Amino acid sequence: MSAPLVDIAGLVIGYDAAARQVRALDSASLQVREGETLAIVGESGSGKTTLGMAAGRLLPPEAQLLDGTITVAGVDVMQADDAALRRLRREKLGFVFQNPSTALDPTMRIGRQVALALGGQPGPEAVAALLARAELGDPERVLRAFPHELSGGMAQRVVIAMAIARAPQLLIADEPTASLDASIREKVMATLVRLRAESGASLVILSHDLRLIGRHADRVAVMYGGRIVELGAVAQVLQAPVHPYTRALLAAAAGNEVPGARLEPIQGTPPMLEGRCEACAYAPRCTFSVARCNSERPEAREVAGRLVVCHRAEEAIATGAMQPQEAR
Amino acid sequence: MSGFSKAAGRLLRADALTLFGLITLVTLLFLGIFGPWLPLGDPSRIAAGPRLGAPSAQFLFGTDELGRDFMPRVVQGIRSTFLLSAIAVTITAVIGSLLGMAAGYLGRFADQAIARGADILFAFPALVAGLLVAAVMGPGQGSAITVISIATLPLFIRVVRSVTLGIAGRGFVTAAEVAGASTLRIMLVHLLPNVMGAVMVQLTYALSIGMIIESALSFLGLGVQPPDASLGSLLRQGSSYLTIAPWMVLSSGAVLSLAIMSVNLVGDAVRDALEPLKGRPLT
Amino acid sequence: MRLVVYLLPRVLAALVTLFGVSVLVFLSLRLLPGGYADILLGPFVTAEARAIIAQRYGLDQPLVLQYLRWVWAMLGGDFGISMVTQRPVIDELLRRAPVTLQLALIALGVALAVGYPLGVLSGTRAAKTRKGRDFGRVIGAMGASVPDFVLGSVLIFVFSVWSLWFRVGGYVPFSTDPVGNLRTMLLPGFTLSVFGVALILRTTRDAVLRVMTEGHITAAVARGDPPRVIIRRHILRNAAIPVVTVVATYFGFLLGGAVIVEVLFSVPGVGLYIFNGLLNRDYAIVQAGVLLAAVVFISINMLADVLYALIDPRVGATR
Repeated sequence: MSAPLVDIAGLVIGYDAAARQVRALDSASLQVREGETLAIVGESGSGKTTLGMAAGRLLPPEAQLLDGTITVAGVDVMQADDAALRRLRREKLGFVFQNPSTALDPTMRIGRQVALALGGQPGPEAVAALLARAELGDPERVLRAFPHELSGGMAQRVVIAMAIARAPQLLIADEPTASLDASIREKVMATLVRLRAESGASLVILSHDLRLIGRHADRVAVMYGGRIVELGAVAQVLQAPVHPYTRALLAAAAGNEVPGARLEPIQGTPPMLEGRCEACAYAPRCTFSVARCNSERPEAREVAGRLVVCHRAEEAIATGAMQPQEAR
Repeated sequence: MSGFSKAAGRLLRADALTLFGLITLVTLLFLGIFGPWLPLGDPSRIAAGPRLGAPSAQFLFGTDELGRDFMPRVVQGIRSTFLLSAIAVTITAVIGSLLGMAAGYLGRFADQAIARGADILFAFPALVAGLLVAAVMGPGQGSAITVISIATLPLFIRVVRSVTLGIAGRGFVTAAEVAGASTLRIMLVHLLPNVMGAVMVQLTYALSIGMIIESALSFLGLGVQPPDASLGSLLRQGSSYLTIAPWMVLSSGAVLSLAIMSVNLVGDAVRDALEPLKGRPLT
Repeated sequence: MRLVVYLLPRVLAALVTLFGVSVLVFLSLRLLPGGYADILLGPFVTAEARAIIAQRYGLDQPLVLQYLRWVWAMLGGDFGISMVTQRPVIDELLRRAPVTLQLALIALGVALAVGYPLGVLSGTRAAKTRKGRDFGRVIGAMGASVPDFVLGSVLIFVFSVWSLWFRVGGYVPFSTDPVGNLRTMLLPGFTLSVFGVALILRTTRDAVLRVMTEGHITAAVARGDPPRVIIRRHILRNAAIPVVTVVATYFGFLLGGAVIVEVLFSVPGVGLYIFNGLLNRDYAIVQAGVLLAAVVFISINMLADVLYALIDPRVGATR
């Protein structure tokens, strides 16, 4: 197999806050293959947005790279000079943001914004054709509109059109449908996935919507405490989760409930790390943890055909439904 | 409250410029407040030195046309410039905050009336309004206070109104309404603490505007009248001898500018601390 | 249509404001002790002249009628007679208006030409430095802190000692002697502009920083656009929106009569005229001058609202 399109190795990123530094990524490692659709899931604060933005070095200035590398299409993103970085962003990357209403310049007509994203001197036909690819009805009218005159779904299709304008190799979509009406989420997502398939690019979706991911992704990476805690094929991970956190996420997700069973919200809150976590970051919330989980940092291991970061992965599989420990 | 303590923390880690402003402000306030009891010399003693004498070790800022030591005069000027502006701005802040809260909270007719009233006051350029006020009230400290109020009242009303609009619909206000709290109580107990930050920011700006207006009016001879001295009236006095005794204009002008700048710098720091603004870099 | 929906309430509000301003000006001089006739004519008048004035302004009638007569007279172009020169005040004001306008344009021009680019530069640089602080703060704080009469006095001192090209006083109209005109007008114009530089710099800087927190800037960075291009395409226009309002306020104040600078540099503009009117107790001048200053201010702000609506397509839009 050829080299992966994205290779993130041991990435550690902290944010300078008032008097301390909050660690957003605690040695995260991940590879994105060419042409695949990879979903990264986790609660807010898990580090998934930091990971996604790091691929284009789009982190805010408070973010500090502490360790690790991130290579995209052969470019060392964190060490590249500004010109090389801009070339990478322009030619290889396409971003789709969570909120389309803020991702477009409010004072500029859509036609001009899309033309600028295409680069060069595209005629109105080329712009309209691009909008049509993103399944925007009546492209001529959309061209002349200002962003505030479009619905959220239309605006997000414009953002998607701009992201694919220069045929990127990697599309990164951060909660691309979270701000949209439930009725159109699936359609917008289908457009994004279709455009990826047409272009052969890789697509990374950052999301907490497990149902959406289940339908559209090839692989899924579950993030917790700034690390990838479970990584494998979508069917495997979502049908037979191993990591207790993945199981809790699935149990908490609406729509996955077994008839008659209750939705189980995950108890507690995600951790705020201030340094390298020397234990399992999930242990305080884990119903399956033992003493070792609180004293030893788990490393990624291959268990049941996927990568898992859990001391008790084998036991977890063995116990199946994983009952809460009686006495701890 | 945590917002405030965080803001205070940011204020304490201020940079050199803010520190400069803070130290200057404290020094000037100290001189202004305790000036009369400090051994600086008698500001009103005539022929203490030569007439229009240049600055020397004995007379740091030189002497005026009556041979008075100019330095204690400047200290006296600091006192009345700060005092007049502070009185005017404080009164205005109280009235403006109440009106702004009433406009934002009561809405409808009260809002319209108060907002238009602010527009009306705002439409008078400060010094032109000063001429009208001086015509009506006669020159003096009362005129100065009135003009400062006219110029700064709209600032308080507008800011407090918009902040109030943002919080009037929030849960704790609705809860107080349901519990039967009176309008005045809601405004004072529930709204006031939330608009205080914005008022503080406006207060520093209004103070610097007030100092500019006071000294400008006094410079034109419409504010503080002799034998009292404000920094503006000292400038007026000195401008008659600008070419032969420039130290009077230069010293009082420099002190006045420093005073206004110190207020502005501290105001900037207060604002940066309460409403930090951070754009993303473009690379 | 969008503009009409947006502007109509603003025009109405401006008319209400105008009404309030006129009532305030009217009342302030009518309610003075001594009566309006004394104010207009001074204390040493014959009963005859007093009667003429009382007749002319309807001083024996109720206040409301007096006000209406006064407004009606102004709508007909009668803003009162100067006690000193016995000429219509409006003629004198209009004759001096071009001088004040020229002064205001010089000041605004300098303030915009220096303040806006520096504000953009300062804002974009502030986003880069980690504490968000830079030269823009220093210039802004200094410019907003040195009062125009202090700066003006210092300049007069400097240029009277070293008689450089500039001149203090001795105004000549631009049409008769352009160079001589600029020799007298540039110094006061520059003096007036310093506060404007600081004001526009600070407003622009804040506006730029605020725009730079918006998602579409991140989106442009993510597309690989270089900083220069992002500033030119996206930041300049978005940041101009709040600046328009501030510039209008500043220009309105300048046109209202830069009293101090005109007095200091002996520029025969509206401000100096009103000030001399006050010193001479020629209150008809003060009344008309203050009213017209407010009218100009309100009108300029109306223009700013139009400009604002043209720059920002979201204004007046309903979704």
